[in-house]
Amino acid sequence: MVEHNAIYQAMINAACQTLENMAFTEVLEHFDPSYEIPTDDLGWTSMLIHDPVQAELRLAMPLSLMKSLASSMFALDEEEVTEGQMQDILNELLNTIAGLFMTNLLADDQEYQLGLPELGTDELPKVDADTIVWKLMTSDEAPMQIFAVGASLLALSEKKL
Amino acid sequence: MKRIIIADDSETARMFIKRCLQIIGLGDVEIIEAEHGKEALAAAKSQPTDLLLTDLNMPVMDGETLVKWVKASPKLCDLPVIVITSAGNPAKEAHLLELGAHRVLNKPVSPPVMMDALADFIED
Repeated sequence: MVEHNAIYQAMINAACQTLENMAFTEVLEHFDPSYEIPTDDLGWTSMLIHDPVQAELRLAMPLSLMKSLASSMFALDEEEVTEGQMQDILNELLNTIAGLFMTNLLADDQEYQLGLPELGTDELPKVDADTIVWKLMTSDEAPMQIFAVGASLLALSEKKL
Repeated sequence: MKRIIIADDSETARMFIKRCLQIIGLGDVEIIEAEHGKEALAAAKSQPTDLLLTDLNMPVMDGETLVKWVKASPKLCDLPVIVITSAGNPAKEAHLLELGAHRVLNKPVSPPVMMDALADFIED
């Protein structure tokens, strides 16, 4: 894992703004940097960054948090929330976070191109040396994690575009 | 009753925009939801519409193409189109405005931002 301050803060700001505006949920860094979301209770989605760098972003959270957010955002009892709604919220959250992240990271006149979110079906990919991980939690201490994978994305912190 | 079309392939995004509209006092309007631009275009052509809110990245027909089609249509060219996107930046915004979009807003849209963008529409 690698941490780069500019990239790290851009994502923190994007995640906080998105969750606060869309789900009225405060998000902060997890108090336990070693915490891992149990794999049997985890949903995740990913999307690609095509330009000006090539990278992949992933958003993971417990199914219980997905249901809670869906319940809140759709104004439904948790029992009424469908799997489709949970998945759609996960995708839209990542879609919004990704856009804000790129806007925060790049210069004002720098264009970027993103792919579309795709739900993860297998296990969450393992973290490698080209991965940045953001371990976050809601104010209720529900965990969520964001991953950015891609050498060219990490290189942004050393190179101005 | 005013008629607003919301085009976005995400149910969550459509719900969020509807919520914004309710908060700013536009809860008593007819809202038509479309999952992509082609669906939105058909809906706009079927009945008089007052406002079109559209995402950019959608399957079948994306938001940019939708703006082009709307502005090229003699029947729809005066329909105000507001693009709400997660993939916005000044260059893209300028391009969409050149194509005829009324405003370009970045997700997540807050009620005050929506209020400002729809100020003319609300007053009417």
